This record gives sequence, C-alpha cells and structure tokens, in this order.
Amino acid sequence: MTLLHAQARLRDAATGDLLGGAELAGRVSEVAKELADLPSGVLFLRVGLDLTSVLRYLGAFEAGRAVALLDPAQDREVLDGLVSRFRPAAVLGIDDEPAPGYSQDWVREDADGVEQHPDLAVMLPTSGSTGNPKFVRLSRSAILANADAIAEVLGIDSDEVAPTSLPLHYSYGMSVLNSHLRKGATVLLEGSGVVARPFWDAVTKYEVTSLAGVPYHYEMLRRLRFDPAKYPSLRTLTQAGGKLRTELVSEFNDKMRAVGGQMFVMYGQTEAAPRMATVPSDRLTEKLGSAGPALPGGTFSIRDEDGNEITEPGVAGEVVYRGPNVMMGYAESEAELALGDETGGVLVTGDLGYLDSDGFLYITGRLKRIGKVFGNRVNLDDLEQIVKGYGAAAAVPAGDKVVVFLDRADKDTCKQAAKTLSETLHMHVTGFDVRPAEGFPQLPSGKIDYRSLEAQV
Amino acid sequence: MSLNDRLRGVFVDALQLDDSVDVENLKYRDIEEWDSVGHMALVAAIEDEFDVQFETEQVIDMSSFKVAVDMLKGFGAGE
Repeated sequence: MTLLHAQARLRDAATGDLLGGAELAGRVSEVAKELADLPSGVLFLRVGLDLTSVLRYLGAFEAGRAVALLDPAQDREVLDGLVSRFRPAAVLGIDDEPAPGYSQDWVREDADGVEQHPDLAVMLPTSGSTGNPKFVRLSRSAILANADAIAEVLGIDSDEVAPTSLPLHYSYGMSVLNSHLRKGATVLLEGSGVVARPFWDAVTKYEVTSLAGVPYHYEMLRRLRFDPAKYPSLRTLTQAGGKLRTELVSEFNDKMRAVGGQMFVMYGQTEAAPRMATVPSDRLTEKLGSAGPALPGGTFSIRDEDGNEITEPGVAGEVVYRGPNVMMGYAESEAELALGDETGGVLVTGDLGYLDSDGFLYITGRLKRIGKVFGNRVNLDDLEQIVKGYGAAAAVPAGDKVVVFLDRADKDTCKQAAKTLSETLHMHVTGFDVRPAEGFPQLPSGKIDYRSLEAQV
Repeated sequence: MSLNDRLRGVFVDALQLDDSVDVENLKYRDIEEWDSVGHMALVAAIEDEFDVQFETEQVIDMSSFKVAVDMLKGFGAGE
C-alpha cells in the first residue's frame, strides 16, 4: 500500500517541470533508500512547498520511516527543544549550524536511538500549544484510510489538479497532497499563496481544478472579489480549519454553483489525520452551518457530561469520533516513538455539538478554552500565561483571531504583547488583537466572565 | 510628510516591523511578517491611510514597497 498512485504527478510551479509515472516513483525510491540508511529514530522534515520537500516526505513514507513534518520557518530555539526531546535520526531541510550531537549534515552521531513502532508513519505538531509542542502520531493505515475517504467524498480522480495553498506541516495541507497523489491526480507545488500574482498565474497556466482554504483564505478571496468565471478550470472549493461564517459559505457556494462548480465545507482535527466530516456539496444550502456527516468508515456520537451517549437528535454534548483515521496517540518525547495504538480508533474531540436526524454534525463550541488563529488551534489559557509579564490578561476567541484584554495597559504595551504572542506561537501578529481593559467583568464565583468579554468583541 | 514616509509608517504599523527592517526595499515574503495574512492587513491599512480602494489585480500585484508607491502615485495620492 502506497500513497503514490501510478498516475500521480507533481508539478513544480517554480520550474514548470512535471514529474510523474516511473520517473516520480524512481525519484521517491532513491530518497527512500537514502533515508533507510539513517540511524533509528524519527526523521524531522522541515517541509516547504517545494519538490525536494515533497520527495523527502514521500520517500520517508515509502521507506516506512516515521517522519515529523515541521514548519520550515520555525524558530531555531523551538527546533532545538524538539531535537533534544525527540533525538531525531536526522533533520532534513535545514542548513543552519547543526545542533550538538549532530553531524554537519544534521545526522545524529549516536547510532543508538529508540526503534519506532512499525505502524508509525507521520507525526504532526499539534497547533497552538506553547513552549512544549507535542506531536500527533499517525499510522500508515490512518493516513491512507483518510486519503481514500477524502477522495471518495470530494470525487477526486486523476484529472484533478490541486495547488499547495496550505503548508504541508499543517494537517489539512498534508491531506490535500495525500488524497490527490493517492488517486493519481496532479499536485501543483506553488508557494506564493492566494494573494500573489504567481499563484493565480499558475492556477490558469496549469489548469488548477480545486482550491483548499481555511476561513481566512475565504476572507481574503472575498476581499479580492474572487470570480470563478475567470478561472474556467477551477470548479471545486474546499473549506476546513475552523467555522467559516455562514454568509461566506453561502456566498462562495452561490458563486461556484453559478459556474457549474461546487463548494465543500469540512470538519477535522490533526488527531484524525485530519478529516472527520464533509458536507456533500449538493446539500450545503439545506444544511448550512453543519460540519457534515462522518466520512465513509467513520461515525460520530455525542456524549453528556457523565460520558453517557446522547441518542436524541438535536441535543448537544461532547463530539466523539470513531474511525480508521484516528491517531495512535500523542508523543512528547523520543520514548513514545515505540508506542503502538493507544486510542483504539476513538477520538474524544473536545468539541461540543449535536447531530441532526440525518446524522449531520453541528459544532456549537469547545469544551476547553480554545481559540483559532488563522486555522491553528490555540489554548486561550496558555495565551494569558505568555503575556502575564505585561499584566493580567483575559483571552477570548473572535472568529479567526483571538482578542486578548490586557488590564491597565497602554497602546504600546498591547503592541508589544501581540508581538510576544506572535513570536512565541509563530503565528502572524495580526491574529492577536490585544486591547487595553480596565479590570475584567467577573462571575459571582470571582472568575473572569469570559462570556461577557466575548460579547464585547 | 512625503508619500514614501507615510507609506513606510503604514508598513511598520500594519506589519509591526522592527526599526532594523529596510522597508523601502522590502518585497512580499522577504520577511515572515509580510506573508499572505500580513498582506491583507497591509492592503487594508494602506487603503485607510490614503483613502483609496485597490482593485483585485492591484492587490495581487502589490509585490513590493516600490510597487505600492507606484500604485499610490497612480491614484494621485500624496501629491
């Protein structure tokens, strides 16, 4: 079982080169051979939107070597922390001065390392956690099952051409790559993003058929007055990574339908490799606001505070997903590389929601205090901790951003605090709206009244 | 204040740049702050400051500080 269908192709937008068939398979096996010779342990891959990165990812997958996908722009300090905790066999995609214990080309000098579990294929960072990032452990079978299920619900076949509109260390970006390669489609490697001319030139030139985006992409596309009539090949939009405002779902759905295209709204978590649900495009209007039914092979259930299943439709509780794509578990250090499956295919999502009588899921909130910054999950309590040096803070979610109220702060302090959050979490500074406050509203219990703060944003 | 100075101020504010950044020679994606997210914040801030409205084509063509200056001159801004 492999990710690479015989017809799968990679198009490098930088050079225009198209790599497919035996040539692509040959390049992947070459990389796989090189990687097989490295010491035991996970491979760290700083994965960019370029051919070398993708060949390394595919090579590791084919070689049966666990590969952790990392942001190529990640701070050296964070990388060093991960290297010392996970002792990777090698770090690929870096030309910095090597970490202690690593050769000039970033291969671990000590040949002894933890032997990975044979099922382990990909590790993805869980977004948002501070200081102490951990990885989600995904098995080979979970990756393949999810790629197949996604391809089935989206109707991906070998005629599709998908650009890399999302980073590959982000689970949604990885799944676009996987689901297309698995079905013999073409993936266009383009790194400049939806606000830049080269991206749209490549969409036209290489006849891109679909585009994947998180809510902020749709906000951008709206601002750009995106008109699918200008891109005759582009007929499918997919959206995940947080709830998109229903007005925008309708607007883009209408635009796409007007030209004979389709729009898919989806739901997932990195812990599920990542897709759990997709709304069939022909039911989007009727089921506006829904995350859709579970993917083929998966099921949702809703449970109450005591852990009992709620069977009545329309009653909200915690969303639990079961399916072949659920992670093996988390990894916080090298030792966990050897662990097998710890979840039994059950993912307790931490999301609150309900199922309607057709089995469509509606997400209503989060159990924990979680916000999203441009599609990435952040723990709001962590944010408050990060900026506590600037004063007492109260963080609340605000769509694609987070608003942080900072007690008795002036404008400059707020700006500094936003910068600290951006640097610590490695997310764009405009995702953190830090505002001065004069004390916080309180609940009778003396705790901060976050609901009333949320109402202020 | 000259057009360049005003625009430099908008770049510094919108992208929250350090003093060390050579703003006038900046190009899209030269620095982390000017990624796609930063770009949209930047475009909105320029529109506010100069009271202009960019066309779609202009938004995606605004690939450097210098290009932004030329576009603003095209609007007759800062004269």
